[in-house]
Amino acid sequence: MYNAVVNELIGSLGLIKPELALLVTFVVVIIADLIFKNNKVNLGLSILGTIVSGIFLIGMSGTNTSAFANLIAVDPFSEFFKYLILISTLIVLVMSEFSEELHNRDVWMGEYYMLVLGMALGMFLLAGATNLIMIYLALETMSMSSYILSGYTKEIKRSSEASLKYVIFGSLSSGIMIYGMSILFGMTGSLDLYAIQSYLAANGFFQPAIFISGLMVIAGFAYKISAVPFHFWTPDVYEGSPITITAYLSVASKAAGFAVLVRFIKLTFFDAAGSSDESWIMMNSIPWDMVLAVLAVATMTLGNIVALWQSNVKRMLAYSSIAHAGYLLMGIVVMTNTGLMSILVYFFFYLLMNFGAFIVVMLFAHKIGSEEMDDYEGIGYQAPVLASLLTLFLVSLTGLPPTAGFIGKLVLFGAVLDSGWYWLAVIGVLNSVVSLYYYAKVVRNMWLRKVDNGKGTLKFSIQSQALVMVLGIPTLVFGLFFGPIMRWAEHSVRIFLGN
Amino acid sequence: MHQLIYLVPLLPLIGFVTLGLWGKKIKNETLIGSIASTTVGISFIITLLIFFELLSGGNTHIVKLFNWISVGNFNIDWAYQVDQLSITFALFITGVGFLIHVYSIGYMHGDRSFYRFFSYLNLFIFMMLNLVLADNYLLTFLGWEGVGLASYLLIGFWYDSKFPGVRITWTGDAGMKAFVVNRIGDFGFLVGMFLILITFNTLNYNEVFDIASSNYISYANTGIITAITLMIFLGCTGKSAQLPLAVWLPDAMAGPTSVSALIHAATMVTAGIFLVARNSVLFSLSETTMSVVVVVGALTAIIAASIGLVQNDIKKVLAYSTVSQLGFMFVALGVGAYYIAIFHVITHAFFKGLLFLGSGSVIHGMHGEQDIKRMGGLKKYMPVTAKTFLIGTMAIAGIPFFSGFMSKDEILWYAWSSHHGGGWLVWLVLAVAAMFTAFYMFRLYYLTFEGKERFDHHHVHPHESPKTVTFALITLAVLSTIGGLMNIPPALTPWLHSDPLLKSWLKPIFANANMVMGEHAHHGVEIMMYVLMALATVVAFGMWALAKKWYSDAAWSTPRKLAKNYQPVYKLLLNKYWLDELYYASIIDPIQKLSTSFLWKFTDIGIIDGIVNGSAKSVELLGNRIRLIQNGIVQNYAIVMIAGIVGVIAWIMFL
Repeated sequence: MYNAVVNELIGSLGLIKPELALLVTFVVVIIADLIFKNNKVNLGLSILGTIVSGIFLIGMSGTNTSAFANLIAVDPFSEFFKYLILISTLIVLVMSEFSEELHNRDVWMGEYYMLVLGMALGMFLLAGATNLIMIYLALETMSMSSYILSGYTKEIKRSSEASLKYVIFGSLSSGIMIYGMSILFGMTGSLDLYAIQSYLAANGFFQPAIFISGLMVIAGFAYKISAVPFHFWTPDVYEGSPITITAYLSVASKAAGFAVLVRFIKLTFFDAAGSSDESWIMMNSIPWDMVLAVLAVATMTLGNIVALWQSNVKRMLAYSSIAHAGYLLMGIVVMTNTGLMSILVYFFFYLLMNFGAFIVVMLFAHKIGSEEMDDYEGIGYQAPVLASLLTLFLVSLTGLPPTAGFIGKLVLFGAVLDSGWYWLAVIGVLNSVVSLYYYAKVVRNMWLRKVDNGKGTLKFSIQSQALVMVLGIPTLVFGLFFGPIMRWAEHSVRIFLGN
Repeated sequence: MHQLIYLVPLLPLIGFVTLGLWGKKIKNETLIGSIASTTVGISFIITLLIFFELLSGGNTHIVKLFNWISVGNFNIDWAYQVDQLSITFALFITGVGFLIHVYSIGYMHGDRSFYRFFSYLNLFIFMMLNLVLADNYLLTFLGWEGVGLASYLLIGFWYDSKFPGVRITWTGDAGMKAFVVNRIGDFGFLVGMFLILITFNTLNYNEVFDIASSNYISYANTGIITAITLMIFLGCTGKSAQLPLAVWLPDAMAGPTSVSALIHAATMVTAGIFLVARNSVLFSLSETTMSVVVVVGALTAIIAASIGLVQNDIKKVLAYSTVSQLGFMFVALGVGAYYIAIFHVITHAFFKGLLFLGSGSVIHGMHGEQDIKRMGGLKKYMPVTAKTFLIGTMAIAGIPFFSGFMSKDEILWYAWSSHHGGGWLVWLVLAVAAMFTAFYMFRLYYLTFEGKERFDHHHVHPHESPKTVTFALITLAVLSTIGGLMNIPPALTPWLHSDPLLKSWLKPIFANANMVMGEHAHHGVEIMMYVLMALATVVAFGMWALAKKWYSDAAWSTPRKLAKNYQPVYKLLLNKYWLDELYYASIIDPIQKLSTSFLWKFTDIGIIDGIVNGSAKSVELLGNRIRLIQNGIVQNYAIVMIAGIVGVIAWIMFL
């Protein structure tokens, strides 16, 4: 008995090597910060740790099992999200190096890297968590770090305000979520999602308490992915945070939220007997698909039409990221593996284009000291390379060919149409049309307004332009050659469904 | 060796990217030119090595680079097909391409966008190679569109200089015209591709041809095959400037002359020939399409040749000549003599490339003058150009034993004798076209290089072109002279009982098509062959003598008199049968009128804009209301959020 437990623990340790690598780096960065007091060292170590974690992740590819007695699933699905998180982390770390907002002040940067790593660790755990307590802990690990990071430039008022709002709002949703968890635990007698599923399968009728508690748990995730009406923190926090953290929240944190949302719904409410890859059946007659469809519509519509009114590019991108969460939710609504695959594909492309857009906005802000759309007038002729790339990212975010964003939308809408959700697809397409307006507005200002604004060209370092290129080239290439990503996503839709 | 085929297109691509991104920084013209030429040169060498591998008994190889698109059961690889047809095209694309790159180093000397020119040229080579090497329709289509783009960019290369034409003022307009006319053809190609996908469930060449040739009896002369081939042929008439889409090629001469030589004479315009040859199985299955190909080819050949008789712009004459020669090739395809069409493509690439480069050398030496009426006597000043130009002229006119003689004679023979659409009428049309060709080419030669010097000696000082230019001229002159040896007509070698070289080399490619047509190999030599050949030779020499006589006379009295006596005919030819005007009056203007008055002012502004602006206004207003909820007060946010949860619960539980 004793041996069995120890063996299970030791065996499981081998399955969380990427997480352990992040944890070790986290500790090492704290110590190194005390000894060397040098940002470059911290940065180097963080990047190294991320890469090591990535190497472990590659080494484990294809694993499909569960660790620590069903606390965490290690499956291709979580693996995909872990790659997304790692790539985002790397980009954020490098991007931070260029951020004047973070560097041009007397505050020490040491814990910044540590917190980014802590957030990554939380997201890693969240992507695989299959136990309510584990989910809660992972979510909080991630949230704690992000609360501090969003107020990292604490001498700036709006940054502190953002952080405070984030904390208050986060606590509220955490409270709702854990309340839901406790009801679920009380009803089913278990924290383990697989066990809850077995209980529900045995009691397959509609129970209001189960539905309400499930909804409250989902509200906690919906807050992370900023679905309407849990999105209120998003614009304020995105606008107030350092732009690196805004980008990180809008991609990585959202990815982790989607991972846990999909896993929770699939593991808990999924009718294993009646379902196939082509259509998942939910148990207990709960119309989760309809609930999520309404969430999706509300999210994308609100995100888009409010984005229309924004004059600040960063805030516009915040609302647009809400809209993108709405599109992505459609992928869950259809409740098929194809839908799931389309989410993965979309997310990968979204990572490229969203990070790209944020980085260019950051670089522009350094030079012109503003994120206002009006101040972008004529910037295309002052900084042609970056402005062209920003144009590319915005075109991709709109979902026009020949960019990756088009393929993402094509696959996503294709999946929605395949499953017969025509009205949802129509609303989604109409929303994309609306989004064209505000993305194009930026492009118009850059290229067609004040063509001769008389200002000299803006100089950007080769490194910063290279970073944007690294995101821009794939955005274009994957728009034409998307086969590998599709196949990767196809292989990654396998969720560990228990023994 | 054939595995290295991917390098052949890759190298020009590298050249394009390098020059496109950093060309502006490289100030040294020689370096830019060397980069561009070297990439194509190495591609040529690799192609040559693959050619020798194939020659020593290789089969068709498919070299797959990667899976391009895979959606459901629709699967397209980025794969190159190494076979006799693709390698033949690749050889002269890279070979002639290399020469023209070298030529352009001298020709484009001092241009302000030197690097841009060479990067476009490399882009063109890359796309053209994709077009011919592809193992599926889609990749060919990518190359097809790509060469269209490169052609557009290069025609309008001197975008801010004037170019006269029917409703054309700038060279950019000429580029636009080429692009738009080609789009009509591309539309045909696209539709054809969709029909193929529906019919055969694949876009892979070999799979389509296997299905078609193994069930050829059930496919023969069906409506769907006719529709597919006609649509593809529509694409070919666009790219290869045949009627009714021929009008863009003469205006494409707005581009630099080396571009005209490479793209609008030697390579791109033969893409249509390539596509029909590649699809020979499908074309052979439809008699209707084959007849259409013959009729279109023959009409184009004679109409273009007759226009060429009276043009005075040195490049325009060559442009109409190209259109006419392409018509010859299509006739060869249409009567089922596929390999002869390829033969003429190759010899044409040599002599037409040479003639264009020669005309470029003349224009260069004359400081931009293109009107042959203001030339004359240039032989003295540019001897190399004059001699090589004469060789090119003799080749295209069909003077015996030059390359053009061999290929044109074979086309004429098949036009006469083929059981698939051949006949005396087709032969006669082509023979007259060939007669015109011989006349206008020698007319061009004599007006340019011989006779009285008619240019202004104070402003124009003709001079021979630099070495890079003459190198290309001499090489092509040699090829134009001896290039015909690759496929000596059987009539000239009656003692040999084997197929000529090119025919046996290309045999595997057209085996299925010949099987479908029920064509049997025959090596027989008929007496008629000699009669026709002798007739053609007499005509060619006769036209030479006539042109010499008429244009050695400084007053051009005979041609002037003819033009005056037959004023209507002369006007008709001079104005190119008013084809451009006809298109404007019958198609473009009505469409434009309909678009402006009905579609734009009524439908678009009135109805669509009304709806769009109305809904946009309401979305905007809605957004304005909703954003007020986002007022920064956290308590309100919390309330809305809780209300949201309660709302969903209420909805699910009570509705």
